Amino acid sequence: MQRFKLPPQVVRLVILTVAIVASYAVARQIFVPKSFGQYGHYRGDALKEIASREPRYAGQKSCNECHSEVLVKVAKYEHKNIQCESCHGISKAHGNDPDHHDPIKLNDSLCLRCHTRDVARPLFLKQIELSKHYSGKGKCVECHIPHQPNEVP
Amino acid sequence: MSKDTSRRHALRVFGGTVAGILSFAAAKTAKAVVQKGLVSTGAPKGYDPTKHKWLMALDIDRCIGCGFCVEACKEENNVPQGASYFRTWIERYVIKKAAPGSGNMRGECIVDSPNGGRNGFPPSLVPREDILKAFFVPKLCNLCEHSPCVQACPVGATFDAPDGVVLVDPNYCVGCGFCIQACPYGCRFMNPETRTAEKCSLCYHRITRDLKPACVEVCPTQARVFGDLKNCTPDDPIMHFITKNKVQTLKPHLGTEPRVAYAGMDKEVR
Repeated sequence: MQRFKLPPQVVRLVILTVAIVASYAVARQIFVPKSFGQYGHYRGDALKEIASREPRYAGQKSCNECHSEVLVKVAKYEHKNIQCESCHGISKAHGNDPDHHDPIKLNDSLCLRCHTRDVARPLFLKQIELSKHYSGKGKCVECHIPHQPNEVP
Repeated sequence: MSKDTSRRHALRVFGGTVAGILSFAAAKTAKAVVQKGLVSTGAPKGYDPTKHKWLMALDIDRCIGCGFCVEACKEENNVPQGASYFRTWIERYVIKKAAPGSGNMRGECIVDSPNGGRNGFPPSLVPREDILKAFFVPKLCNLCEHSPCVQACPVGATFDAPDGVVLVDPNYCVGCGFCIQACPYGCRFMNPETRTAEKCSLCYHRITRDLKPACVEVCPTQARVFGDLKNCTPDDPIMHFITKNKVQTLKPHLGTEPRVAYAGMDKEVR
């Protein structure tokens, strides 16, 4: 009795197909990042990598750890909603090592960035025209205290 | 004799295969361990992106165009200093009066943004008596629900994170620039140093550490409001903003479903 035998071309085709599928599976194992598909059609670890950068602005909470008395004082005046680092600049280094890193020194250009008159500025903001307002002798801080803007020294 | 040789040969082939598979597995494990050690340094622990939904809201009536946000963004995110690289920027809209007798509602609209508003704005060149109204508009990534940039990326390097932020994976970005063309809001740019696309990440490294984004942190007038829609109380600033204001998004007709909310927006704002 003649046994049924697969034709050789079919056998070769089956072997080839299995080889292609297997090599695809192996290649996929190697090349697809492990966390791919964790949240969607992208690498889940990318979120952690992007989040791993160190912040540079410390945030008001850090300032409050040492300078709470200043914050209490400022809270009574017009500038109460301005965060420390708006004017004093990046202060993470100062927070970590206060002896060696000072926050930036204030100057008049900082005051003028908000308080120069501009057509597009909303009216709740007090605005000046420097040529009409300023005597030209001193600096803003001679008449205004940045932490207590309503008061005159 | 020939039988013996073939058995030895078969054993050798079998042994080699097993050793190959084992060494491959070991190499892969070692690579994973090294990668984990390198990557997880400093990454915030215990942050689950599926438990948050971040949102930025902007109040045009409160923006004073000081440019602190633009400066803070550049400092915080190492954005190149050039005048065409911004993750956030401020535009000044000056709308002229209509010509007398023309019957128009308003005249020409002039938009400027010198250096992204980073150093504040010089006085407008339009004479004061010709101005109908003027206002500042802060711009940033609109955090679209159906982001055109994500659809355009050919390598899947940009994606909608589950917490509502659209992020770029700099390790997989090939710098083709399709996403920059696809963004209808012009919120992306090519970083000339890394040659990868960059955009606002809502300061992802800050919000995962329970800090506010740098621009929100330094905004002196609370024109920028930031919050988590999944974990907020009714008196949260973001809920207060949405309740109190009539909010709108940019270019709603494009179907990108932007999530960044604007209050006090004029028809000229695009």
